[in-house]
Amino acid sequence: MKTRRDFLKRLGLGAAALPFISNLQAFASAPAIAARKQRLVVMFSPNGTVPWDFWPEEEGENFTLKRIMEPLKDYQKQLMVLKGVCDKVRGDGDNHMRGMGCLLTGIELFPGNIQGGSDTPAGWASGNSIDQEIANFLQAKEETRTRFGSLEFGVMVPDRADTWTRMSYTGANKPIAPIDDPYQMFRKLYGQVKDREVLTSVLDSVQGDLQKISRVISAQERHLLDEHTTFVRSMEEQLKAAKDMESGHVVPELEPGVREENDNIPQITKMQMDLLVNSFQNDFSRVATFQITNSVGQPKMRWLGIEEGHHELSHEPNENKEAHEKLTKINTWYCEQLAYLVRRLAETPEPGGEGSLLDNTLIVWGNELGQGNSHTLDNIPFLMVGGGLNFKMGRSLRFPKVPHNRLLLALAHGFGHNLETFGNPEFCREGVLTGLT
Amino acid sequence: MRVVAVLCFAIECLFLSSAHSSAVAAQTALDRGKAIYEAKCISCHGENGKGTTEVPAPIFGDKPVSELAEVIDRTMPEGAPEECVGDEARAVAEWMQQAFYSPEAQARLNPPKIELSRLTVSQYRNSIADLATSFRWFQQPKKNDRGLKAEYFASRNTRRDRRIYDRIDPFVSANFGAFSPDGEKIPDDEFSIAWNGSLIPRETGLYEFIVRTENGMRLWVNDRETPLIDAWVRSGPNTEFRATRFLLAGRIYPIKLDWFKFKEATSSVQLSWKTPNSVEEIIPTANLIPEFSPEILVVETPFPPDDRSSGYERGTSVSKEWDEATTAAAIEVADKVVESIRDLAGIKDNDNRSEKIRQFAEDFLVRAFRRPLDEETRATYLDAQFAAAKSDEDALRRVVLLALKSPRFLYREVTGADDQYDRAARLSFALMNAGPDKTLLEAAKNGQLVTEKQLRDQAWRLVGDYRARNRLLEFLRSWMNLERLQDVTKDAHDFPEFTPQIAADLRQSLELLMEESVDAENSDFRRLLLTDSIYMNGRLAKFYGVSLPENAEFQEVKFEPEKRSGVVSHPFLLSGFAYTHTSSPIHRGVFLSRGVLGRGIKPPPIAVSPTAPELQPDLTTRERVTVQTSPEVCANCHNMINQLGYALENFDAVGRYREQEKNKPVDATGQYLQRNGELVRFAGARELATFLARSEETHRSFVRQLFHHMVQQPILAYGPETIGELSEQFEQQNFHMKQMMVEIAVRSAMRGWATNSQPVVAEGSKSQP
Repeated sequence: MKTRRDFLKRLGLGAAALPFISNLQAFASAPAIAARKQRLVVMFSPNGTVPWDFWPEEEGENFTLKRIMEPLKDYQKQLMVLKGVCDKVRGDGDNHMRGMGCLLTGIELFPGNIQGGSDTPAGWASGNSIDQEIANFLQAKEETRTRFGSLEFGVMVPDRADTWTRMSYTGANKPIAPIDDPYQMFRKLYGQVKDREVLTSVLDSVQGDLQKISRVISAQERHLLDEHTTFVRSMEEQLKAAKDMESGHVVPELEPGVREENDNIPQITKMQMDLLVNSFQNDFSRVATFQITNSVGQPKMRWLGIEEGHHELSHEPNENKEAHEKLTKINTWYCEQLAYLVRRLAETPEPGGEGSLLDNTLIVWGNELGQGNSHTLDNIPFLMVGGGLNFKMGRSLRFPKVPHNRLLLALAHGFGHNLETFGNPEFCREGVLTGLT
Repeated sequence: MRVVAVLCFAIECLFLSSAHSSAVAAQTALDRGKAIYEAKCISCHGENGKGTTEVPAPIFGDKPVSELAEVIDRTMPEGAPEECVGDEARAVAEWMQQAFYSPEAQARLNPPKIELSRLTVSQYRNSIADLATSFRWFQQPKKNDRGLKAEYFASRNTRRDRRIYDRIDPFVSANFGAFSPDGEKIPDDEFSIAWNGSLIPRETGLYEFIVRTENGMRLWVNDRETPLIDAWVRSGPNTEFRATRFLLAGRIYPIKLDWFKFKEATSSVQLSWKTPNSVEEIIPTANLIPEFSPEILVVETPFPPDDRSSGYERGTSVSKEWDEATTAAAIEVADKVVESIRDLAGIKDNDNRSEKIRQFAEDFLVRAFRRPLDEETRATYLDAQFAAAKSDEDALRRVVLLALKSPRFLYREVTGADDQYDRAARLSFALMNAGPDKTLLEAAKNGQLVTEKQLRDQAWRLVGDYRARNRLLEFLRSWMNLERLQDVTKDAHDFPEFTPQIAADLRQSLELLMEESVDAENSDFRRLLLTDSIYMNGRLAKFYGVSLPENAEFQEVKFEPEKRSGVVSHPFLLSGFAYTHTSSPIHRGVFLSRGVLGRGIKPPPIAVSPTAPELQPDLTTRERVTVQTSPEVCANCHNMINQLGYALENFDAVGRYREQEKNKPVDATGQYLQRNGELVRFAGARELATFLARSEETHRSFVRQLFHHMVQQPILAYGPETIGELSEQFEQQNFHMKQMMVEIAVRSAMRGWATNSQPVVAEGSKSQP
């Protein structure tokens, strides 16, 4: 059930909208002297990587990008490769399920009724995810609070809620559905602006018609319509006031009519990334996830000349060179998308701050598996780009098979949220992952 | 029962005589009464009893002359009651009665008008629901089919090729333990069931749906795409899932529950709900239909409640909150329409999408405005919007927003054209509580709503619709004051077995009686008052000592037929109109006098809290109430109220029969002074109900209330003769409720607010007997 408050909030009107409007003002008016904004994006692509085309041979600051990371060559100084970070969480569920459900939670899945290709059936993760933990941390403070706190983008995520399709959790058993329809995301971000525009024009026509009708009916009946007219006028004034208040607002244009289907994945990805950059620009949120398909995802990348589904290919043995050539192309394509996002952030100046959005954003690219055919949870292909958390970038790092919980802790610490453990404390005994800064 | 004529002479003189001589005598008597009023009363009560600064309260009411005379005799003028007694008191009462005191005289002095009105909230919601449904395939469900269609599968994914059998399940509540529903065909560790059909709720409001299962499930309610509850993944200890949905009364919603077991030790599933005003229960069979139905567009935006100060919902005022709500609702509907435009506009892949959307937008406007678009309206509402928008969806959104913010949608017959389209609208709102359907609009277009017969034929067509049935049921609920009886609870010490479940069952029992009376071929109103049977299930039977198996479903049983009669002694009303410990003759009496007999009762002149029974432990309820209401200021109304309520004193606070209270025999005798001056006496529920069912006052009151419920305009605005004529028809047609709806709808269709300029009540027209 909607409430009146929901309505006013949706239109950005009235007292209910104050926190949001003040947020807009900060954006629209001259920049106040504020602490530097910090942002986090977690990008996900499925089914493991092709290790020999992914991991650089060298460690340290001097390293050569392999084929898959080639698209990021302009940003090598801003990226960091982390080899040897492993998802050590065990328990119920097969590796695809745990790879996905534990990637950002670092904690076991509940026992359940969802059966994967092996192992025992499982349910949802038994804790919240790091993106939500950080978002809550930022929302708790006035100076870092934003309209949405976090945004969950998706691309062609199947329309079913299960352990393979969800990676963000607000808590145990509380998965968040990513929004994979750019138009739906647009409505969420800019619906109120659009609503106000249309309403303003609609109310103008209503006024005209009310006057026309009033002219033909008797004075006795007219008082009701006259009264009605004053209410319509008052709504028009409110709309005008709200419009004046946010005259600096950047509202992107979306190409209309793009259907959600396999062959439109490149276009949808681009639209979603544009919306993500835009929402950062407007400071709607400082935390985002970007989930391309799902664990066990089956996109058919026909635009690369690949007819087979991604997951199906990922099961092929290492000896199948032809399949691995395709898998390398697929993963390179994912990296190209990441590179697009990086470029957009790099080209967008930080509103009211120093440098670019990329200087204040950290993107973490992850995966539910290390490699598809072995289903290993070791050596998850973690790659980070951007200056958001003050890590020392431009390096290729090696770790001695450390639990990825320690990386999740490092993300929190990067925001000044100095957690001692996150997820299963068993995997946090060595503390936050060191060597990043 | 004994009828005693009291002072019929004067009344005959006043109203019934046709002979010239007695007419002259009556006029002389009236002149005398007027002279007395001017001499002894006017200084305080003002002209026509309007009141003065000294005694501001205006005088009006519905007491018979004899009673009014008696009050004057005893109490007036204040401080010197001996100055106006006997003959004089009678003469002044007679004159007051016809000059300004009676409701008829009041109507003559201040003739009510039909007023320009906006849609009431429920008309708004129902119009939107109908509007959207008019673009979808829809078929009324066949009667009597209840329950849900159930398909059983030997797989966890409701796979077609593993379907073992289907059947109708009366409700969803199953516990298979460690086993399967069918040991031979379905394995114990993996199976699924899909329940499918429709849901028909009785009230408007928020419904909470509750599924209990240790297995996986998804529940869809009025949305075939997105589940209301998605618990397909069983995870953690949670086995109870809740979600709410706002539903409109009497409409039919699609519902589907997919459920599966996979390797869990046990399996069970229960589908329950908590309706807006009752307790949580397994969704009863009566509310489930095993047939498919399309989604209903339900406006969830909250609206401020309509004005009910005149006893029925009216749309004769607007407020800022209301205007804001209409904006919010317009946005809500625009969102929903744009979202499902493919389905609503019937767009196929190779259709010209733009053309289809524009055609839909035009049809939407016509149906929303309840008349075709003239050139200017089309230009503003359609052409200009498509010209201003960047895409078809944007244009559609604009059209829907504009249509729903337009006075042409929000107000009833706003242009005052008073043509056949306005007639179609009035007919439809009266019977369906929503705008006209395609057939009615077509009839208006073809000039087929001219004669009374044409209107009546259309009204008969509509009254057979499930929405008209619902409208009548809704009325019966308000006639019985059910909305006030939402939380019937009893003292846990005195009545430990009267659980919330019993209260819910009782309400269900009453609903079933109403539905049966409405659905009966003869739709006879008297059945509600005179039936000697009741619906009970096992729980109720146990509580009220009727022999039925404990788990029996609702069924009709004879229940103390010589002691009870219809709704008057239905235990739900008896418990509702009672305190938590004791019965309440006053609450019961107010329901009978105001609700059933239609008497006007003014609020108590002084605030009195009822005496606690503990303070007078020896008195029976009747004795205690009599003592408490004996002061003059109370007695004025309580003489009537209490005497009606006393006739039900054989029933305690939970509606159980009793012969004794406080070791004294119960006195269930009562009486009623009718408006025609005749006194009626009765003892017990059956005599009381028999009197009520025969009483013209009951019939008139029923007709008047039904008229107000359907038309939302004062019946007197349709001429002083209307109530009498309709009541007469009601009687001639053997109290056929649906036929009465038809008559009311036809009458209201012929007259709109634009007809007001004609005098509604001619000066000096005859009074009602």
